[in-house]
Amino acid sequence: MAKAPVYAIVGNPNCGKSTLFNALTGLKQKVGNYPGVTVEKKTGTLYSQHGQPITIIDLPGAYSLAARSPDEAVTRDVLLGRREDTAQPDRVLCIVDATNLERNLYLVHQVLDLGRPVILILNMMDLAAQAGISIRVARLSQMLGIPVIPCEAVNGKGIIELKLAISRHDLPLSRHAWDIPAPIAPAVAELQASLVSNGGKAPLIARAEALLLLTDQDSVRVAGSAPLDAKTQEILRSWQSRWEAQGVDWAGTLVSSRYEAIGRLASEVAQSAKPSAQTLSDRIDAVVIHPLWGWVVLALVMTLLFFSIFKFAQAPMDWIGDGNAALAGWIRGLMPDGDLRNLLTDGVIGGVGTIVTFLPQILILFFFIGLLESTGYMARAAFIMDRLMGHVGLNGKSFIPLLSSYACAIPGIMATRTIEDPKDRLVTILVAPLMSCSARLPVYLLMIAALFPGPTYPIAAKVGIMVLMYALGTIGAFGFAWLFKRTLLRGKPPLMIMELPPYRLPRIKDVLLQMTERAGLFLKNAGTVILAISIVLWLLAAYPKSPAGATATEQLAHSFAGRAGHLLEPVIKPIGFDWHIGIGLISSFAAREVFVSTMGVVFSAESGGEDTTSLRHALNAARWPDGRVLFTPLVCITLMVFYVFAMQCMSTIAVVRRETNSWRWPLFQTAYMTGAAWIICFIVYQSGTALGF
Amino acid sequence: MSESPFHHLMPLCQLPARATGRICELTGDSEFCQRIREMGFGESVYVTKIAGNGTILCQLNGTRIGLSHDAARQILVERVGSR
Repeated sequence: MAKAPVYAIVGNPNCGKSTLFNALTGLKQKVGNYPGVTVEKKTGTLYSQHGQPITIIDLPGAYSLAARSPDEAVTRDVLLGRREDTAQPDRVLCIVDATNLERNLYLVHQVLDLGRPVILILNMMDLAAQAGISIRVARLSQMLGIPVIPCEAVNGKGIIELKLAISRHDLPLSRHAWDIPAPIAPAVAELQASLVSNGGKAPLIARAEALLLLTDQDSVRVAGSAPLDAKTQEILRSWQSRWEAQGVDWAGTLVSSRYEAIGRLASEVAQSAKPSAQTLSDRIDAVVIHPLWGWVVLALVMTLLFFSIFKFAQAPMDWIGDGNAALAGWIRGLMPDGDLRNLLTDGVIGGVGTIVTFLPQILILFFFIGLLESTGYMARAAFIMDRLMGHVGLNGKSFIPLLSSYACAIPGIMATRTIEDPKDRLVTILVAPLMSCSARLPVYLLMIAALFPGPTYPIAAKVGIMVLMYALGTIGAFGFAWLFKRTLLRGKPPLMIMELPPYRLPRIKDVLLQMTERAGLFLKNAGTVILAISIVLWLLAAYPKSPAGATATEQLAHSFAGRAGHLLEPVIKPIGFDWHIGIGLISSFAAREVFVSTMGVVFSAESGGEDTTSLRHALNAARWPDGRVLFTPLVCITLMVFYVFAMQCMSTIAVVRRETNSWRWPLFQTAYMTGAAWIICFIVYQSGTALGF
Repeated sequence: MSESPFHHLMPLCQLPARATGRICELTGDSEFCQRIREMGFGESVYVTKIAGNGTILCQLNGTRIGLSHDAARQILVERVGSR
């Protein structure tokens, strides 16, 4: 039996590659309606009609094989067989957006040059029909000499036909040829020969690389991780100097001649009725990207999000809280008093139970983020932020990773792979964790609950504080980006060129999928990392045992955790925090939400295990040794400000280490964020105290 | 009445909203020119400006593309009519 072929899915950004990948493999890769959702390759398996497993690789979107950004480089390197971890695909599934055939065919044209069997998939045929575009599929297939499958990946239409085509043993090679312009053809031939003899490349790959070397000014970037051999470099330089002397724009000529060939194809197969009226997207955009109304819409969306978090989460939060109390009560009734019982009620329920209470808010946050991602609003938010980002030294494209960081800094940092300039990418990575992520939500909510105890306070006050914290993080991110772009990572503000997808109704299935995945991750984290930290913390708070007759507070102060908190207290006292909070700051270095579980464990331990449910009451009752209230409104605000700025997330540090390939930047990031957090908290607390708050 | 064929070149950012222009020249550095050519902003292609004074939104071959003001300034077009 012949070896099963490996297929790669290739196409422009946001043309439906991951949707198609999911439809073919049954996997649940994240999809969204904005460019740059997929930034790394993903592999899945499809079974052919003969039951043979076929590997499918989903690749990040690219406009050209002349990659400019790290995500595009993944696509280029996999297709050219340069990745050690991935075999070169035997066949390619080129997917194009049928509403924009010509532009999408540019990448297809480059892929055809690689000399691999290609299946062309015309996706979004329904949208093309709505836009008055008709495509003669059979004629296109005939002209290119490859199978062409019309499809609506999102509705599953055309998938069976595609699977049949994929199952074919004998896929033809394209017979489409295009003429390399006469002044450039000899250079392509010479470079190709050199890449074969000196670089050890296969002839067709060498030809494709020769064309890329001539299309992109940066030969180092084209060569990727393996440097270009000296002989080929010399040939390239010699041709470039010759053309410069003759005034030949070789790179522009190559692109133009490809587009001419594509234009001939497109005019033969596609017909478009001229749009006469404004489309729905036009009408929505008239408001959403308006210089004034655009900001109003953004403010409304954010306010609605935070309002929903407070309004709709309360009831399920109470149910989970009641469940925790009932469980703790049941355990107390079941077991005799002792360390094991206290470990379960104070350590496990006090820690993990408290954090699980915030699951409803996390779900609401991800529901909104899912809606924004699937409707097409993300790219609009980047659009209206572009001018502001320009003042900072970045462009609107950097705002998408920052927006994603509202969910979690890790996907946000991954999304910076779409940024072309390495310095801009690094600046975006450095500031992304300043955007308030979902892990900060429990901390903010706990502090807001301590700040406004009871239902008598208006919801607007709570929403207002929450919006303020999110705004503070965003302003902080912009401020530090401005600073870094003028000091450490100087450079011109990059120019934004970004495709804005048409608006679509959100696909509730995708939104729910993302919500359940994130909820699963949150619960998994609660059940593993937070459970482990809570148990260790309970042990550290319970041992060593103080002499008999000591109060619960004396026992906690005597414990290892209490001693660590006391050790930190001189550093944090100027910002209004005591040793209890110090324990939380130390433990939450693992992840921010651990602060809440830590407070749960610490105050449960201190209350002698009497009350594991109402952490808010425990916080309101906490006092300094001299009897002053610990969690004053000013301390609650200062603590929130600390969490806005401080780098309290080990996973983010690990991802920054991987993405920057050094320890230098994550260490710098941790130092500047935590340093800034302390300084800003010092200013807030000392000014507040001086003003009598 | 037919449009006059003798319009002056103007940067895309100065094209009025809903007006269409034909791209005549790309004036940015070679890196920029190459990138936008590959995205379809080739010479002689028609582009319609939809909105925007700072960051601009334009339509090209049925696709909407957002461009920074500085990027739109480097695309010289000849106005050919309104959408």
